[in-house]
Amino acid sequence: MKTKTLERASWPTVLSFLLPGFTGFLLFVFIPMISTIGVAFTNYSGGPRWKFIGFRNFQLLLESSQFHQSLLVTLQFVFFTVLLQMVLGLLFAMLLNQGFRGTTFFRSLFFMPNVLSAVGVSLAFSLLFHPSQGFANQLLGILGLPPNTWLTSSDTALMSIIIVTLWMSFGYYMIIFLGGLQSINPALYEAASIDGANGFHTFFKITLPMLSPTMFFAMTMSIINSFKVFDQVFMMTGGQDGGGPAGSTNVVVFDVYQNSFKNYKFGYASAESLLLLLIILTITLIQFRNQKKWVTYDL
Amino acid sequence: MTFKNTLKNSAQWLILILTSAFVLIPVYMIVTASFKNEREIFEVPMALWTENSGLFNFQRLDRFPLYIWNSIKVTFFCTVIHLGTASTSAYAFTKLKWKGRDTLFILYLMSMMIPIQVIIIPQFMVVKSLGLYNSHLALILVGSFTVFGTFLIKQFFMTLPDSLMESARIDGAHEWVIFLRIVLPLAKTVLATVLIFSFRWFWNEFFSALIYLASPELKTLPLGMTDFVAEYMVYFGPQMAAALISIIPVMILFFSLQRYFIQGIASSGIKG
Repeated sequence: MKTKTLERASWPTVLSFLLPGFTGFLLFVFIPMISTIGVAFTNYSGGPRWKFIGFRNFQLLLESSQFHQSLLVTLQFVFFTVLLQMVLGLLFAMLLNQGFRGTTFFRSLFFMPNVLSAVGVSLAFSLLFHPSQGFANQLLGILGLPPNTWLTSSDTALMSIIIVTLWMSFGYYMIIFLGGLQSINPALYEAASIDGANGFHTFFKITLPMLSPTMFFAMTMSIINSFKVFDQVFMMTGGQDGGGPAGSTNVVVFDVYQNSFKNYKFGYASAESLLLLLIILTITLIQFRNQKKWVTYDL
Repeated sequence: MTFKNTLKNSAQWLILILTSAFVLIPVYMIVTASFKNEREIFEVPMALWTENSGLFNFQRLDRFPLYIWNSIKVTFFCTVIHLGTASTSAYAFTKLKWKGRDTLFILYLMSMMIPIQVIIIPQFMVVKSLGLYNSHLALILVGSFTVFGTFLIKQFFMTLPDSLMESARIDGAHEWVIFLRIVLPLAKTVLATVLIFSFRWFWNEFFSALIYLASPELKTLPLGMTDFVAEYMVYFGPQMAAALISIIPVMILFFSLQRYFIQGIASSGIKG
């Protein structure tokens, strides 16, 4: 029920509403974002003397094997985390969308880890993953399986971080998918069952296409959030000096943190974070570009 | 057919039960290990309580009452400020018309994409030049606005018909009067949602505290928990006790107000 369009409000009125929030955004996000671009071209290290050094930081980064590894670790983390978040989120949303008794109980239970402190949860999982006596390895022993090295080996440390991340987040994506499933018109399923479609067909011909806008939103969020993983890495792989055995959990945001607040290479770290942002931006743009191919907004 | 259905049903229940165990075990372990000594923590099956269980792990957390108090303080101020800035911004983005409005909002949304580490160095310099380094005020100001909260409230305001404001405007009421008297009272549910999301965010917030707090007596609870990471000798009992303290308030909040949590997430997923 739209009435006539709003009159332009006066600037003092607009600013009185906008500034309380906008000031924080300007001072602590917008200006820093622009400044990061500037700092990336300097050799600033916190001291009074610094100079512009052109693309030197970027050049050093592209030559640095540590950065290459860090990038690889991040992409591995993002790939597996996003994939599993989507699969598990959708699987449990579909399980709980059948309307049997106890649905709300499981929904709450699976979502609950999402509200907990990542720091506290990381401490708990460090104990569960304790190499000699942790519950995880004892459980493997009971099942007759060999113990796992979890956080202590470069082969398994990243996987351990992924497990903690999934523990905390799959319920969040489940809730998003549940919302999407519940907005699908049930008449579509009725029509399909009259036509004799089996479960396999209904899933690929109705559920997935109708869910594609939700999937698109969930995937975008999941990718962006995965690039931000920090607390678990810090807490579970050695704090300020962390990054896992042989740098196996040293994701780019963590490497940026170490380069800036441990090594005081502010210029270098800024260049590194810009490259990261560029990657996130590119992936998000590609996603938005490609959505036409698989996201259905009509019907 | 019935046999196939039974099989399918059992498989589904098996998945649900195993997943419940996967979710519950770490929480159960935090709760029980908090009261156990170092040896019994590792015993399987994990007992709920043993004859040696007690409060001794909590007694060793001598600095934590201060950390908890700091967390309460910061969380309280941040949450209140979030509510204020998110609702006024949302009003400006929906019910006032001005040039550049939609562009600025897109800029807001795009900023959600930026990991905090990308902007932390200049942000740190801003905070330092304002003389706020190593103060709680730094955390409060850095967190003084919320894109997510603004977005949620904006979604709600968009459902309010403009005619609601129009008649008050014709009567000559100021926008602030309309906002405070007419619009805000209608927004109680969405404000409650933003409140609990902000509470959870600040109670768990770790990175800003790590960067901006240097003095031990200023540490918030999540930052206080890093004391353990630096220690050479690791005692798990006190760690679990600290973890328990950190998860209990949000768990209570969640189980008593879960409707708001779930609505908040579900409505953020609906395209607007």
